Amino acid sequence: MPRSRISEELREIAGAEAVLDGAEDLMLYEYDAGLSTGTPQWVVFPETTKQVSRIAQLASRMNVPLVPRGAGTGLSGGSIPRAGGIVLVFSRMTKILEIDAANRRAVVQPGVVNADLSAVVARHGLFFAPDPASQKASTIGGNVAENSGGPHTLAHGVTVNHITGLEVVLPDGGVVQMGGKAADSCGYDLTGLFVGTEGTVGIVTAITVKLTKVAEAVETLLAIFHTIDDAANAVASITAGGITPVALEMLDGKTLRCVEEATHAGYPMDSGAVLLIELEGLREAVTEQAEAVRAVCERHNAREMRRAANEQERQLLWKGRKTAFAALGRLAPAYYTQDGVVPRSHIAKVLRYIETVAQKCNLQIGNIFHAGDGNMHPCILFDMRDPDQVKRTHEAGRMILTYCVDCGGTITGEHGVGMEKNELMPLLFSEDDLEVMKWVHDAFNPKSVLNPQKLFPTPRSCRETNVAGGIGGSR
Amino acid sequence: MSPTVAAAGLARALAAIAGEAYATEDPARTTSFAIDEVVPRAAVEPGSAAEVAAVLQYAHARKLVVAPAGGFTHQHTGGIPERVDILLRTERLKAVEHYDPGDMMIGVGVGTTVAEVERKIGPHQQILPLETAQPERSTIGGALATATHGPLKHAYGGLRDYCTGVRFVTADGKIAKAGAKVVKNVAGYDLMKLLIGSYGTMAVITGASFKLFPRPPQMRTFVAQFARLAEAMTFRDHVLGSPLTPVCLELVSPHAQAIVAESFHPVSPNSGETRVGPPGETWRVLVRAAGSDRVLARYRAELGAAAAASEMGGDDEAQMWRSVAEFPHTLFERSRNAMLLRVDVALQDVAPMLEAAERAALDNSFLCAATGRIGVGSLLVGFAPIAVDPPSAMQYVNAVSYLRSMTPRDGSAIVLRCPLEAKRYFNVWGSTPNDIGTMKALKRAFDGEDILNRGRFLF
Repeated sequence: MPRSRISEELREIAGAEAVLDGAEDLMLYEYDAGLSTGTPQWVVFPETTKQVSRIAQLASRMNVPLVPRGAGTGLSGGSIPRAGGIVLVFSRMTKILEIDAANRRAVVQPGVVNADLSAVVARHGLFFAPDPASQKASTIGGNVAENSGGPHTLAHGVTVNHITGLEVVLPDGGVVQMGGKAADSCGYDLTGLFVGTEGTVGIVTAITVKLTKVAEAVETLLAIFHTIDDAANAVASITAGGITPVALEMLDGKTLRCVEEATHAGYPMDSGAVLLIELEGLREAVTEQAEAVRAVCERHNAREMRRAANEQERQLLWKGRKTAFAALGRLAPAYYTQDGVVPRSHIAKVLRYIETVAQKCNLQIGNIFHAGDGNMHPCILFDMRDPDQVKRTHEAGRMILTYCVDCGGTITGEHGVGMEKNELMPLLFSEDDLEVMKWVHDAFNPKSVLNPQKLFPTPRSCRETNVAGGIGGSR
Repeated sequence: MSPTVAAAGLARALAAIAGEAYATEDPARTTSFAIDEVVPRAAVEPGSAAEVAAVLQYAHARKLVVAPAGGFTHQHTGGIPERVDILLRTERLKAVEHYDPGDMMIGVGVGTTVAEVERKIGPHQQILPLETAQPERSTIGGALATATHGPLKHAYGGLRDYCTGVRFVTADGKIAKAGAKVVKNVAGYDLMKLLIGSYGTMAVITGASFKLFPRPPQMRTFVAQFARLAEAMTFRDHVLGSPLTPVCLELVSPHAQAIVAESFHPVSPNSGETRVGPPGETWRVLVRAAGSDRVLARYRAELGAAAAASEMGGDDEAQMWRSVAEFPHTLFERSRNAMLLRVDVALQDVAPMLEAAERAALDNSFLCAATGRIGVGSLLVGFAPIAVDPPSAMQYVNAVSYLRSMTPRDGSAIVLRCPLEAKRYFNVWGSTPNDIGTMKALKRAFDGEDILNRGRFLF
């Protein structure tokens, strides 16, 4: 079928104004917040589940790749049409279908923005707990696909811990239900299995989410250390000591200085590292835990402890954290953020290793990460116009992730595999492990119409043709 | 080939894999492993994942039906097996695969009992918030297969929330894994979710990793009593709406109190009125709080007169919660012909379901005894016969069918255990909000020959 026929059919399904197929329009959908790129032939904005289902049928019938996309804030290329095809954008499916405060649930369409849901349910004293740094833009559909985390997942868990039901369109156009408002249900946990499948098995069209009670009290502390080692050891002592912060973030000295220049959050310019520690809960408990945290940090030679005296100061401390990557970005034309996780007792060792990698590869690497979970975010600065730097960046990323796996960790804690780390999956998984995962993939998406060439390593026979994957794409 | 010869061949083949001492076809032993009176042809205790794989390869090639088994505390759940060729016991898979107290993660072989894990991590003031009945018998594998949970689910979530990785063997004998040994991981499909609660129908889990939690240094339980269920629910909503963050929020129905009391032996003689039981007329809501004296004082203030009047602490408190967790077991100790359902519904459906259960019991000559995590909507509903004579199968059928007629579309009411005579008359699983076609497609992909627990699951 000629290209124009598919355009026509898409227009017939979704409406003339809901389909893009001009080169200049398509360019806007060839990237996400990471570094991978790929150009679609069509972009379509469905408005209903029925339309999504018909589009899936069309894609299956024509054997054209179909790639769902939320806000494009992903970091692993999950929404990039690697093999071209149709990109399905959910910016017209943004309704909150139901707020059921009494049951602590909401039902939303996939295009609802993460932070918008929390804003709407705030009047019930509730919020949606997953808080990726991109939460002001990223959609709940995208959060489901990537099983997104964020700073507060330390206490609240990642997206999958907050999803109880889904309506999913399968690649053949079938619409299926998984779970509902009840926390558990009879049968296989399809909802749990589906979250984090990165758009490779189905397209979510409605999501039942848990809403969490807003805590009565919150206390935000900044602990300043002379050395990274002291800060890292304090992290291990805090978690092992029975203190359960809701967030425990670390920024190393290099990052701090960039952040401070960019945001004027009041971070010290001359320290080795800081910890941003947040406690939530009952007022009495928070006060006691804050004291305990202070004692632990002082035991680990904290140079100074600061406490946000009010919401404004708290927001300022968080602003530094949430904009840190952008601040680091001022140092170089591009940055590449890794997402490995290590056991918490290994953090100091991994940070030292990252420093040696930076020297060996002659690159600058800043560290700003979810220390409480051991979720490292080394941010590698580079210039994508310099092919040698791109190569070294790639190499540094691979060395760091290999080290994380060797420490008993994993290659991604919250960003997903996508097309960025799919070739690294064998670091973690054997061929049999991956084959069993492929059984799940093929049970849902046997022809790989949906989001092809993602998550799984490229079969050896095809690898030659896919060198554009990973970092350093054409952008 | 006569069945006897085939069986002898089977035991020999299993012995060749696991060793003479670990394979048997002796009826004296296999009879004790009967599932719903179906005696397995042979039983085997593999000593490693590789041996599990060899057993499954052997079974798969011959289309032999395999039933994985741990401590036999949950084998009464599920449809009556059409046959069991090999009972695959996890008894010997007890290795501690990884445990560094500083990382608050543990990985164990699935034959490890819940109590063994507790003893390992207890000295480090850590907990695995599983809190099953019969922890000395219940294995980690059984807990995963049945997605079991206890009162701590209120604060810590279920196994799906804190199991971070699994090692397993597929029906055709592939050794595989998913997840990781760290608290956070999104690499690859989350097969933990697929295996947890799959009742041994997708793969044989051989090992698993879990997040651990610090044991609160001090806990206290506030016991609120109400004449009516509606008042208990109002109190629950008050607690849920308050700033309090209890570790447990549990309902014990009037008749459940007698059952809970059965296994509760207070240490201090004067804990008096504060204990759960003797059999009461009241609905009790147990609020378990962790924290310092100041935090507990705040609980008293927030909970008000209803709960502040009676509270428990120390060893008695811990004992009492043990007894609540034992409810699904004690129910049958007390009443051999009882029936137990697991009911999962949204918060506001808890009261209607409990009312329906009371009604179903009354109409069919049972007493309804229920406990449950009313803050998350997970209930255990027991039906104990009133008469001395065993009830007819129809009484069970009618009670279940009435309860299911009142179950919301996305709720579940699974019969975890009932007399075998009754089981022949209904599907123990009931309806499901999960798409059957998708579940079947996954089962076909993982176990196309249907050798794992054939005939016992939902479809």
